[in-house]
Amino acid sequence: MEIKSRSSNAVTILALAGRFDAYEAGPVDRHLQKTLAAGSSSIIVDLAGVDFVDSTALATLVKGMKRCRQHDGDLHLCCLQQPVRVIFELTRLDKVFKIFSDEEEALKAFASA
Amino acid sequence: MKKVTLKSFLERQRPQFASLAEGWLAAGATSFVVWDGERSLAHWPHDRPPAPPDLKAPLQIETAVSGELRVSGLCGEEATARLAADARLISQLMQLEDELECMTAELIHSEDQLLALYNLSQATRSHLEIAPLAKAITQTIVQMLNVERACLIFKVADGAASVIGYPEMRSGSPGLCHFLEQLLASGAEFLENQKARSSELPDPAYNLLFLPIQTRGALVAGLGLINKVDGDFQTPDLKLARAVAGQTAVHMDNILLYQKSLKQARLQAEMDLAKNVQLQLLPQTPPLVEGLDLYAGSRPALQVGGDFYDFIVESGETFIFTLGDVSGKGLPAALLMAMTRTVLRSRAKSLPAPAPMHMLGEANEDLYDDFTDVGMFATVFVGRYDVGQRCLLYANAGHSPVIYCPAGERARLLVADGPAMGVLPVNLCEDQRVPFHPGDVVVVATDGFNEARNEAGDLFGYEQLLAQVEALSSQPARQIGEALFAAVVDFGRGHLQDDDQTLIVIKGATP
Repeated sequence: MEIKSRSSNAVTILALAGRFDAYEAGPVDRHLQKTLAAGSSSIIVDLAGVDFVDSTALATLVKGMKRCRQHDGDLHLCCLQQPVRVIFELTRLDKVFKIFSDEEEALKAFASA
Repeated sequence: MKKVTLKSFLERQRPQFASLAEGWLAAGATSFVVWDGERSLAHWPHDRPPAPPDLKAPLQIETAVSGELRVSGLCGEEATARLAADARLISQLMQLEDELECMTAELIHSEDQLLALYNLSQATRSHLEIAPLAKAITQTIVQMLNVERACLIFKVADGAASVIGYPEMRSGSPGLCHFLEQLLASGAEFLENQKARSSELPDPAYNLLFLPIQTRGALVAGLGLINKVDGDFQTPDLKLARAVAGQTAVHMDNILLYQKSLKQARLQAEMDLAKNVQLQLLPQTPPLVEGLDLYAGSRPALQVGGDFYDFIVESGETFIFTLGDVSGKGLPAALLMAMTRTVLRSRAKSLPAPAPMHMLGEANEDLYDDFTDVGMFATVFVGRYDVGQRCLLYANAGHSPVIYCPAGERARLLVADGPAMGVLPVNLCEDQRVPFHPGDVVVVATDGFNEARNEAGDLFGYEQLLAQVEALSSQPARQIGEALFAAVVDFGRGHLQDDDQTLIVIKGATP
């Protein structure tokens, strides 16, 4: 799975592409922990390229979100594909994460926070 | 190269010189002298000092003159020619002895190197990791080849390279490390003696020999020798260094193979342990509950996930069942699964008339910190059936698929109203109620069913699952369960099972 990282002001944006499952969760987790260690606790995970998530992937995102909130930041999600959105709804993680339709909205939400 | 001297040759061959001298004296010479250019080294006869010479002939090794033979008391063409011949013979003998001494020295040197190579092999064969092997090899090769520094650069995980050197690499030599990295990337031998002005050799290197090390056709490391102390790297040095590189390759191959098999053994042990934990905890047979037809089963994946289910019967009147799925795989998931199942069970038993949402809420409180620490969560479905009540009370924390199929009606999903356990510090789930009459079916399964993949990579999916339950709903619980397993096994043929497949089937029994 591809992981691309960039920054916009103080916000780190991680764009993922491919199948996000137990085998890919490790590198994503490391990326998130590295970002937090570098002092950035405002993170957007762009899932536009992701067509599948399993429980390990979700657990990785939950872990990242908790750490961000511990540091007075947050982890926003954006650009969910339909099958992935369904998984978030069924697991009720749509009540836990702030989910946006595009990156701009996700960034704006940080600015107004 | 050690040179034979006239003096040392004379010492060893004195009897031969003596008989040569006697021949001359017998022919009428008054004295015979071996002269080293400054003084007489030997003269015959011994009892009187030699007379000034009448004939001289030079003694030389190759082009260097080391002395003379001197004869007094004779002269003439014949005597001159004879002395010249004697001198040439002695010169040739000295030359041969010189060559013999050089060859002997080289032979001893080769034997020493062979022994050093053997000792190196013995010392390094017991190393189980690359770093100690690198230290031993670089230390030995510094002595064997008489260089200032030796380095082993080798590839580590994720593409980076590590350098171990003797003497130890200081942090102030990044230029050398970078140069070695470039050489490693090229994968070719490199030799530069006497650093030229335009050279890219980083200071303080002025000589550098680099040899790639390959195992099983892949480049894994490189040996760098820096600054030969006594001159340039010559062909014998190259041969020896290649031999060491070859040995290093064999040892590295062994170490890498050993580490790989160790890793595999550990993984296998972990998988076996996790599977045992799971097998011990899952109830073997469902209890007998008045008004219910029950079936439960689990098909674990190769690397066990965190599926569990449990049945708790209170006083014969209340039947509580739980089914959950811990995120992740292997031993961590199995251990969290055991904890979650036990905490839920203990909450069920400790509350007098346990409501599913309270069981979930209190279990979540108990386990939230643990789940946060390990970065995991567990989707959980808790159901409660009271005999004679004809309804099912449940709370669903992020779990699916849960399929409800009333007799003669369409099957639908019972969707969660709160996220999984361990996600939020407070449980959001509330109790939900559905009617449950004879012939009604509830199937609580884990996502190993709907996420099962076939060879083409398609998912089994919710729709197919719902359709199957609907089609099977008139059958007894056991048949429904076994048919669902068969359907997903059949679908997934040709593709390895990714995740555990676990389900409970509850059917309202006809009275």
